[in-house]
Amino acid sequence: MRFVDEFRDAELGRALAAEILSLVEPGRHYKVMEVCGGHTHSIYKYGVDDLLPANVELVHGPGCPVCVIPMGRVDDGIALAHEEGVIFTCFGDMMRVPGSRGSLLEAKAEGADIRMVYSPLDALRIAKQNPDREVVFFAIGFETTAPSTALTLKRARMEHVSNFSCMCSHVTIVPPLRALLESPDLRLDGFIGPGHVSTIVGARPFEFIPADYDKPVVISGFEPLDILQGVQMILRQLAEGRCEVENQYKRVVPYEGNLRALEVMAEVFELRPHFEWRGLGFISHSGLRISEAYAELDSERRFTVPGVRVADPKACQCGEVLKGVIKPWECKVFGTACTPERPIGTCMVSSEGACAAYYNYGRFAREREVV
Amino acid sequence: MTVVSTDRERGLALCVGDDGRRASVETALVQPVQPGDVLLVHAGTAIASGAAA
Repeated sequence: MRFVDEFRDAELGRALAAEILSLVEPGRHYKVMEVCGGHTHSIYKYGVDDLLPANVELVHGPGCPVCVIPMGRVDDGIALAHEEGVIFTCFGDMMRVPGSRGSLLEAKAEGADIRMVYSPLDALRIAKQNPDREVVFFAIGFETTAPSTALTLKRARMEHVSNFSCMCSHVTIVPPLRALLESPDLRLDGFIGPGHVSTIVGARPFEFIPADYDKPVVISGFEPLDILQGVQMILRQLAEGRCEVENQYKRVVPYEGNLRALEVMAEVFELRPHFEWRGLGFISHSGLRISEAYAELDSERRFTVPGVRVADPKACQCGEVLKGVIKPWECKVFGTACTPERPIGTCMVSSEGACAAYYNYGRFAREREVV
Repeated sequence: MTVVSTDRERGLALCVGDDGRRASVETALVQPVQPGDVLLVHAGTAIASGAAA
């Protein structure tokens, strides 16, 4: 398959692993954060970490869009779903994210009209098919997904669909990265930059990481060879004393990003002063809301949203997992009270969540052999 | 996904995935597209095109 098979070649993988081994200094421990949940998923699906030397550790970052939604936001969604006449739509992963009194899936079982969609366009189609009902789309995700929501809102206006609105919970990737870099809990040597977010925003927004924090960033694709090459490029920068943003994923990521997408996002959204992240707390200018120009399509203005704030369950350590402070298997409830069938934390819900990736691919081993 | 046909007026393309699943895809961010192009699709919207990569 074009764009896939050539990035899963085992021989090339072994050659990259050998190069990585030649770049590491014995006795030095390297910590590299993969920012994106898609990378985490690929790493454990393909066993990429098994090809790395024992002193190169991959640390999971905050880039899983479902994982970072706080419980209070789920409760707000459930409250909207229970409004008279509302059809509430969301992505499949969001259905199982626990709020303080259950999930959207449980609310559906109790009678709320909640429907899973693959895209905001599906939600708009439902609105057109049900003109006597109010259709709300629960929009989540980073800059990768936000343009899709923005285009759908523009389309709703253009097609005069007045019974459609959006509960916007989109977030942006740079503020949490800056928060992580300011955190005293974590020592990192470099970042595997988010491939698909960078398709939209480009590489420039990550230039502050080498400039202000002296850490290399390599934007990488999601196939096993992409990730291995990303690690190799980071280690090469460190070995050569360089520190910059490099783009391994050039076949998809232009350095300036997708200018059309950035334009439509700037038209439809504006930054919130603060947004709450699960496990990370409130981060300034890290969330998007619908701009004044599109106010009539904003569910939070059309309905009364409770604005609930709920503390994470004490047993759940998603926050530490999202910050890369602990590994999923170090969480007290991993694989016992918290499983993909009955998740307590969001990291166990989404396929991009670090806990789900560990659990689904059987990565329970706490020790690795030296390559 | 691979573009099967395009609806330029509505800015949509009919695409087929590797698993044979067909879907309408918003193409406003990667115009112009034509049948045979490979698109990176996220949440029903093409965010990059293989032809351009």
